[in-house]
Amino acid sequence: MPPTGSDPARMNRKKGDKGFESPRPYKLTHQVVCINNINFQRKSVVGFVELTIFPTVANLNRIKLNSKQCRIYRVRINDLEAAFIYNDPTLEVCHSESKQRNLNYFSNAYAAAVSAVDPDAGNGELCIKVPSELWKHVDELKVLKIHINFSLDQPKGGLHFVVPSVEGSMAERGAHVFSCGYQNSTRFWFPCVDSYSELCTWKLEFTVDAAMVAVSNGDLVETVYTHDMRKKTFHYMLTIPTSASNISLAIGPFEILVDPYMHEVTHFCLPQLLPLLKHTTSYLHEVFEFYEEILTCRYPYSCFKTVFIDEAYVEVAAYASMSIFSTNLLHSAMIIDETPLTRRCLAQSLAQQFFGCFISRMSWSDEWVLKGISGYIYGLWMKKTFGVNEYRHWIKEELDKIVAYELKTGGVLLHPMFGGGKEKDNPAPHPHFSIKHPHTLSWEYYTMFQCKAHLVMRLIENRISMEFMLQVFNKLLSLASTASSQKFQSHMWSQMLVSTSGFLKSISNVSGKDIQPLIKQWVDQSGVVKFYGSFAFNRKRNVLELEIKQDYTSPGTQKYVGPLKVTVQELDGSFNHTLQIEENSLKHDIPCHSKSRRNKKKKIPLMNGEEVDMDLSAMDADSPLLWIRIDPDMAVLRKVDSEQADFMWQYQLRYERDVVAQQEAISALERFPTPASRLALTDVLEQEQCFYRVRMAACFCLAKIANSMVSTWTGPPAMKSLFTRMFCCKTCPNIVKTNNFMSFQSYFLQKTMPVAMALLRDVHNLCPKEVLTFILDLIKYNDNRKNKFSDNYYRAEMIDALANSVTPAVSVNNEVRTLDNLNPDVRLILEEITRFLNMEKLLPSYRHTITVSCLRAIRVLQKNGHVPSDPSLFKSYAEYGHFVDIRIAALEAVVDYTKVDRSYEELQWLLTMVQNDPVPYVRHKILNMLTKNPPFTKSMESPLCNEALVDQLWKLMNSGTSHDWRLRCGAVDLYFTLFGLSRPSCLPLPELGLVLNLKEKKAVLNPTIIPEAIAGNQEAAVNPSSHTQLVGFQNPFSSSQDEEEIDMDTVHDSQAFISHHLNMLERPSTPGLSKYRPANSRSALIPQHSAGCDGTPTTKPQWNMELPRKGTGKEQPPLEMSVHTAAAAPLSVFGKEPASSKHSEHHHHHHHEHKKKKKKHKHKHKHKHRRDGRERGRGPLAFPSPAGGRSARSPSLSD
Amino acid sequence: MADAAATAGAAGSGTRSGSKQSTNPADNYHLARRRTLQVVVSSLLTEAGFESAEKASVETLTEMLQSYISEIGRSAKSYCEHTARTQPTLSDIVVTLVEMGFNVDTLPAYAKRSQRMVITAPPVTNQPVAPKALTAGQNRPHPPHIPSHFPEFPDPHTYIKTPTYREPVSDYQVLREKAASQRRDVERALTRFMAKTGETQSLFKDDVSTFPLIAARPFTIPYLTALLPSELEMQQMEETDSSEQDEQTDTENLPLHISPDDSGAEKENTSVLQQNPSLSGSRNGEESIIDNPYLRPVKKPKIRRKKSLS
Repeated sequence: MPPTGSDPARMNRKKGDKGFESPRPYKLTHQVVCINNINFQRKSVVGFVELTIFPTVANLNRIKLNSKQCRIYRVRINDLEAAFIYNDPTLEVCHSESKQRNLNYFSNAYAAAVSAVDPDAGNGELCIKVPSELWKHVDELKVLKIHINFSLDQPKGGLHFVVPSVEGSMAERGAHVFSCGYQNSTRFWFPCVDSYSELCTWKLEFTVDAAMVAVSNGDLVETVYTHDMRKKTFHYMLTIPTSASNISLAIGPFEILVDPYMHEVTHFCLPQLLPLLKHTTSYLHEVFEFYEEILTCRYPYSCFKTVFIDEAYVEVAAYASMSIFSTNLLHSAMIIDETPLTRRCLAQSLAQQFFGCFISRMSWSDEWVLKGISGYIYGLWMKKTFGVNEYRHWIKEELDKIVAYELKTGGVLLHPMFGGGKEKDNPAPHPHFSIKHPHTLSWEYYTMFQCKAHLVMRLIENRISMEFMLQVFNKLLSLASTASSQKFQSHMWSQMLVSTSGFLKSISNVSGKDIQPLIKQWVDQSGVVKFYGSFAFNRKRNVLELEIKQDYTSPGTQKYVGPLKVTVQELDGSFNHTLQIEENSLKHDIPCHSKSRRNKKKKIPLMNGEEVDMDLSAMDADSPLLWIRIDPDMAVLRKVDSEQADFMWQYQLRYERDVVAQQEAISALERFPTPASRLALTDVLEQEQCFYRVRMAACFCLAKIANSMVSTWTGPPAMKSLFTRMFCCKTCPNIVKTNNFMSFQSYFLQKTMPVAMALLRDVHNLCPKEVLTFILDLIKYNDNRKNKFSDNYYRAEMIDALANSVTPAVSVNNEVRTLDNLNPDVRLILEEITRFLNMEKLLPSYRHTITVSCLRAIRVLQKNGHVPSDPSLFKSYAEYGHFVDIRIAALEAVVDYTKVDRSYEELQWLLTMVQNDPVPYVRHKILNMLTKNPPFTKSMESPLCNEALVDQLWKLMNSGTSHDWRLRCGAVDLYFTLFGLSRPSCLPLPELGLVLNLKEKKAVLNPTIIPEAIAGNQEAAVNPSSHTQLVGFQNPFSSSQDEEEIDMDTVHDSQAFISHHLNMLERPSTPGLSKYRPANSRSALIPQHSAGCDGTPTTKPQWNMELPRKGTGKEQPPLEMSVHTAAAAPLSVFGKEPASSKHSEHHHHHHHEHKKKKKKHKHKHKHKHRRDGRERGRGPLAFPSPAGGRSARSPSLSD
Repeated sequence: MADAAATAGAAGSGTRSGSKQSTNPADNYHLARRRTLQVVVSSLLTEAGFESAEKASVETLTEMLQSYISEIGRSAKSYCEHTARTQPTLSDIVVTLVEMGFNVDTLPAYAKRSQRMVITAPPVTNQPVAPKALTAGQNRPHPPHIPSHFPEFPDPHTYIKTPTYREPVSDYQVLREKAASQRRDVERALTRFMAKTGETQSLFKDDVSTFPLIAARPFTIPYLTALLPSELEMQQMEETDSSEQDEQTDTENLPLHISPDDSGAEKENTSVLQQNPSLSGSRNGEESIIDNPYLRPVKKPKIRRKKSLS
């Protein structure tokens, strides 16, 4: 089946179930998940699931479900044993393609593999055959209950066990387990339909140790002891239809806190952390109130649970009626910096409860709506909680982020449309991964995707007003809550799913406005806008001539056409102008209101109505313009480079009240190192009313300006006297006041100023001695005894300041760094770092912020050549068992060392950690850091780049990371950064291999060469009975529909040949390949697997016949389910069969061997014929591959 | 005198071992005393008519005499202390002698015997100067209500308060300076000590002592040390917390504190009682004000009814 997923949807259209067409030939109504044994020692889970489904087509004979990692023992449908196949092509993406190492090829294969099991395309890893006895039952569309016994042993993803190795029982040790993953990852821990669009009600049961608590979705109905009283069973009911992807679990010896304000909200944390939990969650009720008020809708679930766990996969994960947080978000009342961050996480998760958990999405291309709405209402919460300044600052920050990302790496497409012609118009901006599936996305892309989604929501708000916006949300929610209380039979549940078209429709219904152009621009299209603005003032006409140019040719950009707001501050006031940006109009004339004369001294009115006195002496005497702002409301996703005179920026900084404008002015002033800029920045720094983040930014700008002005700078180093005035004692200016952080604004400023000051440099490009002593004094006289708050972040920043002051060592012909030739200043710095780092061992600070800063500072000293470069210290801090922040900081240093010293050994050490570290977040982070700070890149020669490394990384992304989508995509990112899209340059030219491949390819066309091809195939040689199968699978990959084009003469010209070959591979393995399928009778041996047809190179099908043997009725030991145990594995099932060319016969024989009765045989026969008829009627509806359909029928035909 | 005898007995063994080399003044003293005793014994023997005696027998007799005198001293001391005195009186000696079976009445006659030999006084040896305890000031005389035989007052410095009025440092700058350097010194000393006594890491291969770093040691549960405030901070927090927290949250938090414990206690109860459900016990748990499913008591299993399937 093609990977697009659009086909089945189209097929189902006639059903027309309120706009949503299920890609599956059945509908799930209820699912039971029962985990009756959890073993923390062995990290294993045993349980069963029971899915209640209603067939929606008469001839349903196979049911596809999602399941990964799980060992499935037995499947029964309505108490009848059912045969099943377990096949997961994502386990190993590329088989036996040993020499290619071409990322392009991999990405296509990976996307194909993912869509081959994508539930949104009606696929799944687990394919269950409906027993023939039930066919009649199915034809009447009667209910089926699928009961699956499964177990999970040492899961590597989906479910994470944390088992500290201390003495005591598991509960005493604080052992816990929780579900985790990126997007829909529930299939990793129980078989299900792992799609956000398949909703059902749930019954969840977990039997755990009596000292533990199991937290899951829905209402806790009861807790019952087992008969031996040593365990208890938690029974949960979730009556609101929910997708499997929103099901979660956390089990551990949690401390329980019922929210004092809302008794239906319960918080859980690990032992000993209860006081922190109390403080951290004491704020949550306000978030609840806020959301319920703006959405005018009650929280949809009857209860809410927050669980704080260790070794979290992500900081915040929202699931139906519960959220899982990292335990590192907990903090006490003494911590300032973490408090807003944690509150933001809480608010974020709660927003996702409404949009994301309660309201789910129809397909991946609708994800942006959910992320957008939840991000948008989270933004409203930010505005209310932290104020408009913080909100606008945040919007600017997010805008800058997305703009930087898109300009650097290509566009972010919110609403990818599949299968349509659109795709070709908009060539994939990210060649190294597919954006068709969430599971193939680079993590960074996904975060940017979320960022863009909420920014676009804000654009929609700008267009239709917030009131309408909230009405739309309310409408979505009330529709959903009505639907959620309905019975399944009402077919209303699909109203709980949001789609792009549905969302746009309710917008137009509610607001009556057409936002289609906006959607087309930002949602259906990727890229941002890049404006260049410059102006001239025409005195004669008293007109401002504004020129706005656009760059829409660079990657990640698009052309903007439409209205654009420009605000001009003149002497007589501030005026808004809306310009129409059109194709060819670059110049815009804006009439000015003021005369340039400014003889009479009067106050100047600002945008917000305020009137201020200004010193206008800096102005151009001929012009009434103070400053000009293009798109001041950030109503376009854009980057604006506008040209203004320095005094205009200075006026903008001083007098414009919008924090975004102030920040823009600050970053512009970096280019104007003049005394006037210095004065403007200093004034802002001193202004108490000014937003603290602006003041912080001003610090760094001032440092830069001071460095540019170093030869003409007068007076003490920048900011020193200011800091002294603000934070030092009146009587002794060299001593800082004892800490008092009651005013957070000045706290942040106090923290930041020394860090910025340390960036100052004198004429020799060294940090002035005065500044260093100043910082050392700050550290020395730091006194926190009387402070209500902890000073750990402050002290950490002081160390950062010390690190900032370090300049490269003057090295005399590369002498070895020893203590004797240590710079005396560095000696002082080192003294402080040593003391701080050692004190941390005795009196650790919150989140070990000080250790983190010390490690960074040590790396800076190493890098600047003051201390011998050596990774061993960092490696010891990177070990498992240190706090995660420390580990990341240490790993970052090792990554940096790897790059600077080109150390193969360290790179290997890092990659080993990627494979073996127990914490998924750390594994992910290492790859992420390696990608950001790569030891080498594709355009660079490096001794590190060798074949072994290529193999290693290839293996990592091909099969080593199949348990974690995020990690695999991280490996792909790294591979891309290191080697690029095509074959890594360090690989030897595989001439021989290609010739062989070519022959193989030929073998398809020319049957006479078949034996040779087989001989050349190692794997086939190992197991003769498998060769047919392998040839069948391989050929489509080594070959392509274009193979006839290969000119055999060029084969000897290896370069040309290779490039040709690579070009071939770069083409996606589209359904075009499947034309080989029907032609090649052997392809029929892939039983019903769409995977095989759309070119997934894997598919080792394996029929698992779970039939009672010898009537014992005992559970059969599970057959080896792991697909990636070489080719031989599936064949073991058929091992005793004579080698036959027709796999279908295998299957058939085997089947009947077990079925043992001739009577049954006949019975089956009959049914097969019936199904023939059916299939014709049904067509490719359920199994859209015609090849697959034929293969299913083939047994009866052969009979 | 008795004192001396008593100490002599106790130091008897010391004398013998120290006889070979007498460098110590105390040893000298013991030797002299023993020599005197020997002279006494010899004269008594002469008195009894012996002309010569073997060294061993003289030694034995000396030892006996010494023991005898020592015992008198010890015993007399006991008697005197028994009556809460420190100085033995004559009657103490007499009682002692009687107790030891000596006929005291014979003593005057014996003392006045005619043929007794007069021993010349031993040569005056320098009394070993016991190092005088440091005396500071004048010992106070006893007040009239304390008998004079009571021990003297100790040296005045041991009980007299002598306040010193040094000018306190009030200069802010100096104070801060002092506090800072003091803290820094303490921290450095402490960390150096820890570094010296434990494993260390170093930034320089050739030098491990100048900037010793206490080796990084992984924790079994790293988040506890990272998140929980230190005890010092905790104290601070409690102070501020109690003042900040309003009444309402406090009272509402209270039952929450107890309820998990309740269920825990109950769990034990039920596990003891096993199949005998104590309904009254579980009722108590349900009386808590807040109805939250996690606070509800755990139910007992129903007897042989398949519950797992729903």
